[in-house]
Amino acid sequence: MDARVLGLFLAGTILITAAPVAVAQETPPPVIEPELDRREVREADIDSENFEIGVFAGQISIEDFSSSSIVGVSLAYHITENIFAEASYAQADAGQTSFEILSGGAPFLTDDEREYTYYDLSVGYNVNGELFITDNTVFNTDFYLTVGGGSTEFGGDSQFTLTLGGGYRVLLTDYFAVRLDVKDHIFSSEIIGEEKDTHNIQYTLGASFFF
Amino acid sequence: MRVIVFVVAFLSLFQWSAVLAESLVVKVVEPYADMHTGPASEFPIFHVIERGERITVLKEHTGWYKVVTDDGKEGWIAKAALASTRDVNDRPLQLAQNDFEGYQDRSWEFGIFGGKLDDVNALSVSAAWILTENIAAEISATQALGDFSDNRMWLVRLQHYTFPEWRLTPYFTLGAGQIRTEPSATLVQSGADTRTNDLLEVGAGVRYYLTRNFVMRAEYKRLTALTERDEFEELNQWTLGFSVFF
Repeated sequence: MDARVLGLFLAGTILITAAPVAVAQETPPPVIEPELDRREVREADIDSENFEIGVFAGQISIEDFSSSSIVGVSLAYHITENIFAEASYAQADAGQTSFEILSGGAPFLTDDEREYTYYDLSVGYNVNGELFITDNTVFNTDFYLTVGGGSTEFGGDSQFTLTLGGGYRVLLTDYFAVRLDVKDHIFSSEIIGEEKDTHNIQYTLGASFFF
Repeated sequence: MRVIVFVVAFLSLFQWSAVLAESLVVKVVEPYADMHTGPASEFPIFHVIERGERITVLKEHTGWYKVVTDDGKEGWIAKAALASTRDVNDRPLQLAQNDFEGYQDRSWEFGIFGGKLDDVNALSVSAAWILTENIAAEISATQALGDFSDNRMWLVRLQHYTFPEWRLTPYFTLGAGQIRTEPSATLVQSGADTRTNDLLEVGAGVRYYLTRNFVMRAEYKRLTALTERDEFEELNQWTLGFSVFF
């Protein structure tokens, strides 16, 4: 008795499940509207990488005060594919003048005054290019020139500083780059006595992230 | 330890933005779209995306979009090319307008300026919040380095754009802030002191919408320093600069 009930139930189940298949074989399947993600595509969802934050280190030749190592940070905003604006800040400890070393006399500046710091705001122009290491290893690059102004604090005084620079940026990935920069900081100084325009040339190697 | 946390947070930020970008799929409806090897028109075209192909938008860099096709070709397409694609709903992609209409719709503006404060070189940076189409609130910081002193100013001001619907419009500013004057080392020895004074500002300028998200600005400001002496100290500031808006 139990077995017959079970048999009927099974047969019924098979009929019910098989029925739509039979129907489907006779008429073509209806066009099913897929459940798509109906979210509006907005530009805000696209990851923008127009800011560049970087660190750099190298050598600076401080006029009359020998050469020193320098470290700094930079933040750039890339406005177009060619033009960018950049702010940088760096610090170095100036050495001694030749006179101080030769005479062995009293130093010109205190240790605090020997601290050389600057900031500058620059506008740069990129010339885009590619660097071919091998046939298949190719990096995008920029050669750029910058011009800017800022302030240098040295010898107990702040001076308006004109900054001229050039550099080369190699983009190892879309968002990571290594940079080689050369900058000349020009400001007038009267630490040695008479007032004159000093040229303080630095070259640095840096790394930067785009975000 | 804190450095590690920072690095992990930084990396996860990149990861997060990558995940966000992955979901953007569009279809090319123009006859073709050029794919460049880098984000600038100078980079060579190495692939042509055909009509009907689906592309995934990965990221944006100065008006260029990195995309990947379904068969794995990765490259950069111009904004104009992406703007003429269709989204999953077969509707044109809505990209933020980088033209004059987008300019009238802006909400933030950041600027860099150079100029003269009386006869001393001065540099300024500014940030503005656009309140209505006529009025903006701006904050600025200025450093003016002269032979005798180092002057630093900050000012908060309201700007009124007279004809916001024109590319070239005059504007007027009214503001207040402070100036800090630090005499040069040679003057310190003669007994001069660092002093801070309140400042009032009135000014006028012209601004010109250049292109994309660039504005050029020229400005004249009359600054009045409220000193403890009997007389007010009047300063004239001329600036020329540009700002970027969002």
